[in-house]
Amino acid sequence: MPLILIRSLEKRLNLQLKDFFLTMQEFFLFSLRTFMAIPKTIRYWRDVLDQATICGTDSIPIVLVSSISIGALLAIEVGNLLEDFGAKTMLGRSTALSVIRELGPLLMGLMLSARFGSRNGAELGAMQISEQIDALRAFGTDPIAKLVMPRLVAALIMFLPLTALSDFAGLQSAAYMAEHYHRIDPGIFWNAVYPRLAPKDFVVGFLKAPVFAVIITLVSSFNGFSARGGTAGVGRATIKGIVVSSGLVLIANFYVSKIVLENM
Amino acid sequence: MIELKNISLKYGEKEILKNISLTIQDNTIKAILGPSGVGKSTILKLMLGLIKPNSGKVLIDGTDITHMKESELYAIRRKMGMVFQGNALFDSLSISQNLGFFLRENLKLPQEEISQRVAEQIQFAGLEGYEDQLPESLSGGMRRRVAIGRALIFKPHMILFDEPTAGLDPVSSKKILSLISSLRNHNNLGAVIVTHIIDDVFNVADSVAVLYQGEIIFDDVTEKLHESQHTFIRSILSDKILEL
Repeated sequence: MPLILIRSLEKRLNLQLKDFFLTMQEFFLFSLRTFMAIPKTIRYWRDVLDQATICGTDSIPIVLVSSISIGALLAIEVGNLLEDFGAKTMLGRSTALSVIRELGPLLMGLMLSARFGSRNGAELGAMQISEQIDALRAFGTDPIAKLVMPRLVAALIMFLPLTALSDFAGLQSAAYMAEHYHRIDPGIFWNAVYPRLAPKDFVVGFLKAPVFAVIITLVSSFNGFSARGGTAGVGRATIKGIVVSSGLVLIANFYVSKIVLENM
Repeated sequence: MIELKNISLKYGEKEILKNISLTIQDNTIKAILGPSGVGKSTILKLMLGLIKPNSGKVLIDGTDITHMKESELYAIRRKMGMVFQGNALFDSLSISQNLGFFLRENLKLPQEEISQRVAEQIQFAGLEGYEDQLPESLSGGMRRRVAIGRALIFKPHMILFDEPTAGLDPVSSKKILSLISSLRNHNNLGAVIVTHIIDDVFNVADSVAVLYQGEIIFDDVTEKLHESQHTFIRSILSDKILEL
């Protein structure tokens, strides 16, 4: 009996491993074809503009809300902590480092993973199950060049200004809370921010934007293209896209910081 | 001309097609008849190179497309028009945008010619006055006519229909079948119709291939179907619609 159980487990594990490696291979080829379609950007410029509006302009409110609330919260909590050590004047420096290096890009990435990633997964998944993607191929249009490449190019372009906006809004809300909650003079706050920020702090923060753009767009679009099994399948593909891309954004956030800070 | 030679296809462990061969001549209408889920739509996807067989060859006008790259296939696919079972219309585009979509995408035609071709298809499909509507606001029969118009707008040599009358009321079905017949009469087009409704076969097809358990059990002119002694064919001739 235990032998049968072990063999059954072994067989299931083998199948799962085979599925995993096949999916990885498909994802790699999908990503490669998307990057190879980038030279067609001029041909699909209208699609790029549409996607830039969706992932850029339309995402401004959610990015602002999340960065303002986290900036304010960070100022209150870190200010309380620094007060215990009599170092409240360092609030500007500590919040600036946290926001520019980590929280600004990370929050922007997570918000866009939810907003832009879910839209990609649901829209492309619905197109897949209603055979619209097959129709594109059947009539001679490359669906990756038409549907995925413009999303990737738009995200690569728009994630940088969104990161800058997230940093700016986070720092402004932190400065506001520093002045009105901790009674720190704005001059002291900002003086602790600008002169002390090094180029590597900006490199860490802004390098994350294109990395997150690639992760979110490719993972969510791949899952949309892989949707099977009706509307429930679209739901599964969308959720999988958000969960996997959010997880990868968190992991990439750690490694980009680690690699840049260790080498600059 | 489309030729399938010794095609076999498996999905996982399930054998869908077992060494089938078919030829579809230009200017003729061929029906592929069989129960639901037997692999009829798969045959159309093989003809377009949307899926690859495990073995065998697919030839389009003598060119072997079996192992062609996706980018090489696009030119071949433009020789054929496809009407999908669920129509596969772009739901965010209007009827005229749907009709003109692939002309804009794939052929660098002047805007006047695109508008002229769209207007021709609107008239052919009897959809005057619906040009600016979205597909969701049309009936099933009208959506099917838009899908046929979209397939025809490229002026293909061959048109592939996946269950053209499935899910339509009898009046809409009749309109679609008469539209398909008119293609042969007026445009000299060849067509492949995949269906599980035997009346459709007798109404429009010149010849029919019957697919049963992954094999072609009959392939001849439609009239000879009545002469077949195969038990499955005898049973479908008496039941008319295959609900297996």
